[in-house]
Amino acid sequence: MTAWYAWSNGALVLALIGYIVACATFSWSVTGRQWHKSQPQVRQARIGVFGFRITLVALASHLVYFALRWIANGFIPVSNFFEFIAFLAMMIAVAFVLLFLVYRHVLLGIFVTPISMILLAYAMVFPWEAQPLVPSLQSVWLYIHVTTAATGEAFFAVAFAAGLMYLLRMRALHPQVAKRKRWGIECMLVAVLIVVGFIMSAFIFRLSGYEATFVPIPRQVVAEGERSQAPADGDTIVYAMPPLAAPYGYTVAQMDGFWGITQPLTTTPSWMHGVQAGRKWNTVLWSVSSGLLLYGLLRLLVRQPLSLAIGRRLEVLDLQQVDEISYRAIAIGFPIFTLGALIFAMIWAQIAWNRFWGWDPKEVWALITWLFYSAYLHVRLRKGWEGERSAWLAVVGFVVVMFTLVGVNLVIAGLHSYAGV
Amino acid sequence: MTTPETAKLPHMEEVQHDKPLDMRYDGAMRRSQKAKPQWIDRIWNFFSSVKVGIWLIALTLVATFIGSLYPQQSAFLSPPDEAYYTETYGTLGQWYYVLGFSQTYESWWFLTLIVLLATSIVIASFDRGIPLYRILKNQPVARSSSFLCGQQIHETYALSEPLQHTSLVEALRQQRFTVQQQGEALLAEKNRWSRMGPYVNHIGLIIFLICAFIRSFPGLSYEAYVSILEGDVVPIAQTAYFIKNEQFTIAWHESTDGGPPLKKDQATPKRFETKVTLYTCEQRCQSDEPALKEVTRGVVAVNEPFRYRGMALYQLGYDVTPQIRSITVRLRDKRNNTSYGPLTLKTNNPARTYTAGPYTLQLINYFPDFALDKAGNPTTVSANTPNAPAYVLDIRGGDAPAQGWTYVYFPREVDKMRFRQAELNARVGSGERWELSADGMKNVDIATYTSTLVMRDDQTLPYLLIGAVISMVGLVMGFYWQHRRIWLCWDAHRLVLAAHTNKNHFGLQREVQHMREALHRIGIATPVAQQQEGSA
Repeated sequence: MTAWYAWSNGALVLALIGYIVACATFSWSVTGRQWHKSQPQVRQARIGVFGFRITLVALASHLVYFALRWIANGFIPVSNFFEFIAFLAMMIAVAFVLLFLVYRHVLLGIFVTPISMILLAYAMVFPWEAQPLVPSLQSVWLYIHVTTAATGEAFFAVAFAAGLMYLLRMRALHPQVAKRKRWGIECMLVAVLIVVGFIMSAFIFRLSGYEATFVPIPRQVVAEGERSQAPADGDTIVYAMPPLAAPYGYTVAQMDGFWGITQPLTTTPSWMHGVQAGRKWNTVLWSVSSGLLLYGLLRLLVRQPLSLAIGRRLEVLDLQQVDEISYRAIAIGFPIFTLGALIFAMIWAQIAWNRFWGWDPKEVWALITWLFYSAYLHVRLRKGWEGERSAWLAVVGFVVVMFTLVGVNLVIAGLHSYAGV
Repeated sequence: MTTPETAKLPHMEEVQHDKPLDMRYDGAMRRSQKAKPQWIDRIWNFFSSVKVGIWLIALTLVATFIGSLYPQQSAFLSPPDEAYYTETYGTLGQWYYVLGFSQTYESWWFLTLIVLLATSIVIASFDRGIPLYRILKNQPVARSSSFLCGQQIHETYALSEPLQHTSLVEALRQQRFTVQQQGEALLAEKNRWSRMGPYVNHIGLIIFLICAFIRSFPGLSYEAYVSILEGDVVPIAQTAYFIKNEQFTIAWHESTDGGPPLKKDQATPKRFETKVTLYTCEQRCQSDEPALKEVTRGVVAVNEPFRYRGMALYQLGYDVTPQIRSITVRLRDKRNNTSYGPLTLKTNNPARTYTAGPYTLQLINYFPDFALDKAGNPTTVSANTPNAPAYVLDIRGGDAPAQGWTYVYFPREVDKMRFRQAELNARVGSGERWELSADGMKNVDIATYTSTLVMRDDQTLPYLLIGAVISMVGLVMGFYWQHRRIWLCWDAHRLVLAAHTNKNHFGLQREVQHMREALHRIGIATPVAQQQEGSA
């Protein structure tokens, strides 16, 4: 049994490497201009198709992981956070391959493979061990509901990638547009880099096995009146990232050194309430600082607004086609999402929890996602919002999707909390 | 709108449009476009507006979002009050409660929003769907050149000889178009029904919403929670049913059973289920001893509800509540060491009299949860839960005195010590001679689990499902198929090719390309004038 797991984990690591190589190849197809004399169209097509083949190899490896883990588990591997995010990354690659086969648009790969790559890296941050299924998950609806919902969401991810491309290209085509628009796109890139920073720092510290442990400061030390936040004696808090901010009312019990940092730099503000407020605040600090650092480095490298630099590289982009791909991905994904995330979800909720709808945070956010894309489809098909506005909506829509999948578990938690974060 | 346009091309001159024709409803005349609206038309116009519909969707989205900021009161078994929100979430939480957002989804304004959205869906669908259906059904084959040149794809070819159109019809049919001909005009069409997708979807949504609304009226859906200790029979509120928990079983995940390895020392339940018997009450339903008739037996497990005549029983959860159900004892005469019995003392509704050999035991008092109050009098802490059962019995008959011997009995050893059973009985005089004892745990019937079940009778569920299925069919119709049309119109000198699709422009391009090739094969090669919107 453990051999199956070992092989499947190996296949997953290979898939990650594959996505990284594919991503690099796609980027090379647009940035390599300076070093090649050939026509950009020709080169892009040639290198792009090569990148697509690498994506196929990565996807095949990903599928091998999935199949082996299914065998090892004895049930479909979508039952915890690691398995689910890895599955979503796989379905995004599948959605990309399908849309590529229709539109033959290699540039799409530049933006889709990084999403698969980043999500897969994020999945790997969570515990890899399979957990036995609790009774409420033991249903054929686990297979049906989770897979269809994730497939719909994967198409939304491709729409996001195409929307992003559209906006970046528009930025380069019209460098003198209103300041508000320029700022909007640049800020969106910063936000994307903060997410990348979050996942990268989580991934790297998980890989290095970093740990810092805190124990509460004994109660009498904490001033009267501030006690409400002071934890119950005996609780310890474990950080997986070096503490930029220690939890309030705690002291270091044990802490791995990190680049000479042996003491927490700051303390979480006392007004931050809630479970694990310190750990969450520390993660936010790490994400923002590493994201901004990443942005600063890239900005230094290209010496111009990042959106402009990327947009200029996308010179062979057929804007109308990218707009169409973004819309088409949503048009394909929307019915699948409706079926998986709402209808199948309701059927299963009726069977397992005896009510088909209970305003559980996850249900609420699935509904919010659905309403958002319904609005998108109405404004696009009936109000003629095409191009830029539609691209913005596709980008924002995926943010909503990611919040539904990850944010709800991190921030709200509810009945779906067995997806353990 | 059914007037056929002339098949000839009297105005074959190129018509220049700034923009392609608005083809959204194929130019159908809608009620909402009345020139002089009455007040009822104004309401109709308001709700039929797509803009209003989109605003309603957006508002619903925002309202739904607000409701997810903090936990709703309905998420708790016992709804918390203002103090809870203030304490847990600070001032923001307090305002959240005060403004009523802690009950967003039951609030009048949220429900109003849903009603408005539903109205918008209905009216907009009527306003657009029916005229669109009619106009598509009665569309002419030959269209004016103004119409043709207003399409996104339209090309004019010069003809040097009369057109042999049979090969073109063949080419269109190969692409699975339905071809109609009228004089010197062809209309090739496919998947017209997909235009009805959005309206079918809306019908499904409306059925779903209406059913969801009807459900919220009392009496149309029924639910009752029951917590039953193993072996107990309890009535199900508001029904004639009684339910017995025959047995509750629970299996745990183990690392040895070939499954995935266990995480640390957390044992996870693998499966739990309740074997139940369902009874109907025939007489004395309110009494302690109702006359019951068994109707069915079954197993309820998570994800496997048990259904009976439109009712469904769901396994909700369980509690570990070890307690004595009954104890089987013998009455021992200490003088000659003879014992009589056995007799079984239940902890729930124990019988009044027992027979042991020549003696009769009468239960004169029973305390399920024995304690002494401040004045030192015996009392019971809880009315039903046998945490510390105590029996006060009178031994009569045989050689007993007329008033009998009183004997106090605590089944649990710990209670025997705590309440000094031996001393008590010595004081009332029966302790010297009599003893009740169980002779080991095998005679003690212990129930470990209380199983919580929900019974539901939901008549609207199938209709909700029908609504969802119709809605889904509509989505698939609308999004996975496209309505495509290709028009060909010609006279002696020219041929106009025009094409329209409601979605997926890219796919239409390919089909038009096929047509170009078909034209090429019969020697018609270069378009005279070509205008393709948006190709720049």
